[in-house]
Amino acid sequence: MNDLPHFSEKNNLELSIIRQVSDEAEAFYPISVELGDHAAYALQRSHRSQLTGLENITECAFKTTDIFDYIKRQTARFDYWRKSFPSHSDEAFGLRLKNYLEYDLAKKRDKICASDRLNIGGESVRERQLRRRVYLLLIRQCIRQMTVQYEFRVSLVPEERRG
Amino acid sequence: MLSPTQLQQVWSLSDEVLYGEAVVFIHQLVKREDCQPLPTSQVRGLLNIARTTQYTELERYIEHQRKRDWNVKNRYLKTFYTELEKLLNTMKNKRLGQEFQLLTDELTRIEMRREVNELMAQLAHEFIQHLVAENALLMTESMVGQRVRR
Repeated sequence: MNDLPHFSEKNNLELSIIRQVSDEAEAFYPISVELGDHAAYALQRSHRSQLTGLENITECAFKTTDIFDYIKRQTARFDYWRKSFPSHSDEAFGLRLKNYLEYDLAKKRDKICASDRLNIGGESVRERQLRRRVYLLLIRQCIRQMTVQYEFRVSLVPEERRG
Repeated sequence: MLSPTQLQQVWSLSDEVLYGEAVVFIHQLVKREDCQPLPTSQVRGLLNIARTTQYTELERYIEHQRKRDWNVKNRYLKTFYTELEKLLNTMKNKRLGQEFQLLTDELTRIEMRREVNELMAQLAHEFIQHLVAENALLMTESMVGQRVRR
């Protein structure tokens, strides 16, 4: 760990990563809720398996781009992934989600990895691996929060309207 | 067999470099050179062959597709395979060692060839997977656009 002078032990670094990611996840919670509402509007109760699939991919992925590719494929394949959310967002659900994960969360990763926080650069193999890990953890948190909101929102639809 | 470090490097490259390049590659072809998104049959063929571990098989497939006598309607596929071949050749002959720094030092020529093929199989698979996902979006965009125009 010579290239990361702030942390003498692996466990310290791991704990710091988890704490920083959790802090950031608290901050983006309102956005995840909006995405969850959009998901409930677009996918409705009948396409719950779509979010289960996304959660599975997100939890197992070694690369962030596996998640983006999955969202792109589903968006291309199913029209409900392309539904906008009138009076909230003109963007298609899939593209809105992908863009948030790909651009906004990448900025949050950079913020967390900056020298005043985790101080993880992007030069060595180890540092690049750590940055990828931070990014994946942020994405996982966002997808979890979004899915919980989706479940909550679809559960509010009265039984007789569920079809 | 790639080392765990090499695999980590490939994953980082896939996220940081190949994803963006695949998106730009397919957009440039579809929008600037008057091509169309790849049809499903081509996507399926390319993905299947990219999943094999033998990079030489993928090279042969791309060369075969490039040399095919495409009819006028599908002439853009020749452009696509020509550009893809060029990109992968540059990756193999220059970027793999110089820019990506993935090659192990002090290997024999045979070991080196084997390592290059294994790395290229991984990198090409990553690139093609990203390209195909973006292509799917472009294909849908184009179909929805056609429906609206009608």
